[in-house]
Amino acid sequence: MLDTSINIKKQICPFLPPKLRSIIEHLPCELLSKTEEIRLRHSRPLIICWAGGESYLGEEGPVAVPSEAYHLSGEDLRKTIELISNYSLYAFEDEISKGYLTIPGGHRVGLAGRTVVEKGTIKTIRDINAFNIRIARQVKGVGERVFPFLIDRKAGRILHSLIISPPQGGKTTLLRDLARIISDGIGVLGQRGQKVGIVDERSEIAGCFRGIPQLEIGLRTDVLDACPKAEGIMLMLRSLSPQVIITDEIGRREDALAVEEAVHAGVTVIASAHGSLLEDVMQRPILRELLEKNYFERLIFLSNKRGPGTLEMIIEGERGLPLYSANTGGEL
Amino acid sequence: MYLKLAGAALIIFAAYLMGCQVCALYQRRVRCLEEIILGLEMFRAEVNYGLTPLPQAFQAIGKKLNKPVGTLFFDFSSFLRQGKGLSALECWRSALEKSKPELSLKNEQMEILERLGSAWGHGDKEGQGRQISLMQELLRQALEEARAESQKNDRLWKYLGLIGGTTLVLFLF
Repeated sequence: MLDTSINIKKQICPFLPPKLRSIIEHLPCELLSKTEEIRLRHSRPLIICWAGGESYLGEEGPVAVPSEAYHLSGEDLRKTIELISNYSLYAFEDEISKGYLTIPGGHRVGLAGRTVVEKGTIKTIRDINAFNIRIARQVKGVGERVFPFLIDRKAGRILHSLIISPPQGGKTTLLRDLARIISDGIGVLGQRGQKVGIVDERSEIAGCFRGIPQLEIGLRTDVLDACPKAEGIMLMLRSLSPQVIITDEIGRREDALAVEEAVHAGVTVIASAHGSLLEDVMQRPILRELLEKNYFERLIFLSNKRGPGTLEMIIEGERGLPLYSANTGGEL
Repeated sequence: MYLKLAGAALIIFAAYLMGCQVCALYQRRVRCLEEIILGLEMFRAEVNYGLTPLPQAFQAIGKKLNKPVGTLFFDFSSFLRQGKGLSALECWRSALEKSKPELSLKNEQMEILERLGSAWGHGDKEGQGRQISLMQELLRQALEEARAESQKNDRLWKYLGLIGGTTLVLFLF
């Protein structure tokens, strides 16, 4: 985890104004290594967050009360937006309209401010007054525990799977690691890996910066970055001949149609959705339809009970049979 | 006698050259302003068609333009890429300060250039385009004035040099 501390110093600090850079750089490594988010809000304290905790930061380090923390000025925020956009806001119109920018290393910077709406859609965000710098972390090996449940050994294929978890439950981390495992091949399905296509609408799975994945996603993986899921899945099917398509947070009608199309084309789909329980997912019409049609053969439930990415349960899609449960201590 | 005549000719010629030097200053200002307007047009193309980030755009444009404007643009790009966490305005001011002696622009012309600093990199493509147009308009006005001044002063300084040299010769003889 020391890597995270180094990553923050090397990859995130150069995008901060000198004052903030100095505050972050002087934080103890133990604190930096568990940091998940750095929050910058106009006229409010500088805060770092980690799973289940947060700390106000003063000029000399962590402080106990907000009034002693360093309060961000308009100048700090103006400089930050200049630095993270490489002084080129015009080059990131699409990303800004979606509310985030990605910086080298795959770290995502969420933006808040005054939105400019045109024809019902957000055109851009002006007067940006808050940033959420989310530290991308690759946790290699998280998929290795799950992967054996996603294989049909007789047919020699990977099963269509849906990962369900609440926000910050580790969905994206698991998807990324599964992409790496499937793509590189770990001998479970023979020595060779499979061709994987990632449709990364929010640039989170591969953490692309200018189209180049910043995180390890495997040797045979193609990424469509910042691409709408439905169009991306169809494009993948038409031209990139993937054997497995990985995408996150499906939920719209067109996403469901594209997933159906991929399943019927014989391509394995591994996707994720927000939710804690099967009941949550069943209340969302599009997902319920997909589940009722039994498109997903495996449902993987994650939580952040014992840290992000806690594997709660794996059930078989069609009959709902549990294959793994954390409550009973493991495989059933 | 011949020696005196040659000396007189030399004095007149030197004085004329001094007049030409002053004229060259006015012409240099005109060329600088023309180059900056051209540079902004190139930047507009980089923004519209390449979405090239500011540091890379100015590095490329700086290489294409003649000195001293080329150097100014190139230096700006270097300051941006230093990674010291400076704002675009701070980088532009530093580059401008460095190039100021070679630009030989008047104070009011330098003020327009300083205002350019707050235009870099802000706003979306449309906003950046508007900023460029506005700055080009200001620079065009300054260019017209510089041209008129150059034309007006061109003959004046050359004649002044010539007449000054001749007066000196007459005075000496």
